[in-house]
Amino acid sequence: MRPLAGAVALLASLSALSLPAWADDCPLDLGHGTGLVVFSGQHILAFRPDPFRIEVGQPFALILNACTRRGAPAELVAIDASMPEHKHGMNYAPVIVSRGDGRFRVEGMLFHMPGTWEVVFDVRSDGTTERLTHEFVVK
Amino acid sequence: MRALLLAALLVASGNAAAQQLLEWAPAEVAAIALHGPWPPPPVHDPSNRVSGNPAAITLGRHLFEESRLSPSGQVSCADCHQAGKQWSDGRARGFGLAELDRRTPSLWNAGYQHWFAWDGAADSLWMQGLRAVLDPREMGGNAAGVGKLVRERPDLACAWRGSFGAPPGIDDERLLVDAAKAIAAFVETLVSPRTPFDDFRDALVAGDRLAAARYPVAAQRGLRLFVGRGNCAACHFGPRFSNGEFGDTGISFFVGSAVDPGRHGGIAALQASRFNLLGLYNDDPTGASATRTRHVERQHRNYGEFKVPALRQAGRAGPYMHNGSLPTLEEVVKHYAEVSPDRLHSDGVPLVRALKLTDDESADLVSFLRTLSADAPPLPSPAPLCP
Repeated sequence: MRPLAGAVALLASLSALSLPAWADDCPLDLGHGTGLVVFSGQHILAFRPDPFRIEVGQPFALILNACTRRGAPAELVAIDASMPEHKHGMNYAPVIVSRGDGRFRVEGMLFHMPGTWEVVFDVRSDGTTERLTHEFVVK
Repeated sequence: MRALLLAALLVASGNAAAQQLLEWAPAEVAAIALHGPWPPPPVHDPSNRVSGNPAAITLGRHLFEESRLSPSGQVSCADCHQAGKQWSDGRARGFGLAELDRRTPSLWNAGYQHWFAWDGAADSLWMQGLRAVLDPREMGGNAAGVGKLVRERPDLACAWRGSFGAPPGIDDERLLVDAAKAIAAFVETLVSPRTPFDDFRDALVAGDRLAAARYPVAAQRGLRLFVGRGNCAACHFGPRFSNGEFGDTGISFFVGSAVDPGRHGGIAALQASRFNLLGLYNDDPTGASATRTRHVERQHRNYGEFKVPALRQAGRAGPYMHNGSLPTLEEVVKHYAEVSPDRLHSDGVPLVRALKLTDDESADLVSFLRTLSADAPPLPSPAPLCP
């Protein structure tokens, strides 16, 4: 598995996002120091697969922290994945479990074919929902 | 064929025919490497507490061959899953007490699967065995009959103690499930042999060009199609050559005047069964083995989908497809070479599309597929039930 360039930054480079100093209310640290980050106009989403290496045909979870750009917790309201080339989705319905303060765990992800999978995250705060995406290439 | 037939390596050793090694790009080697190594580690099914238990494997072997699991006394598991026929029966459609709608799947490497039967209506090997015992068209059995058999036959009752640590109890349904778990423990041991492809794959990965060149060049060309232009490996993925999921390959799903709903019906049956991994008979305390069952989602596109069959030993196990409608490997390749796009509805780049192979390319693909088979050592006689 490798992240596609351009859409992702390692947590170590979060300073490039110019987060305000008081953003500690929604820390993006996933607990193991390694993760991926996507962001939109209003939201920042840090996440990592569990296990980190995604294998074709093997279930995995996603550990996520969803924050606003101002450092407040946001809500992950929906998640899905599909293969853009073939226009089909997963055979499994993931379930989002909230752990409070913008922390989530998504169970039941499974990429059943090798290739590029696009994961879409719908994140909401203050009545605004934005769609963030990330592509995984599984081999 | 690609023009990468560059520096062919000629091997002339003793009286062996000279062979060539195609020039393989690193990406191709990486793709081929994914189809091994073989064999994989032994199966351990956490949902089955006697998985890997030698006593249970022996008991399961005897139960597998026991026709009295069927009240008719006429049908055992071994009647449809014959060792001499690659653990299938050679028929287009299975026949137990009556004719079935689909071909009998081979049991080779069944323990490595996650979904069982062509529609995935079972999520464990033991659940699938149990379904065969109960199905009126297969063995037509019932829990009371199985319970009575294992309680009253001294040799079975003795082997039961050795396998499960206690004599058969009075709960017939639990005895039925445990009988199926013992059978599953036996079936898990049916691992197909190493093949010429495995020798080639290992040599290629190791950079041993001399050993790799022993692999027939027609099979090499077919393999290149398989992992390349044919995109076969998208579904026939990994060491077993199956991703274990389901697809519509353009084969008719009509059974007479009725329709076989395939995966769509399989998920409904799975979710309705008390024997699935979310039920009380799953021995896995972590619940991890039930993840797929917990999250599988029935979708409209599942209609007419059938499980992607594994390809090891397939060259010796025709007929093919879920309904046995294609008698030979050549017919299977012809189907994929000519499949109509009108039959396959896809908004994107279709996974199954007419490959438009030349006759030579079709022959190469068949040559490759045949190298996924080898002679299996004879199955030893079963150990006594209660020595």
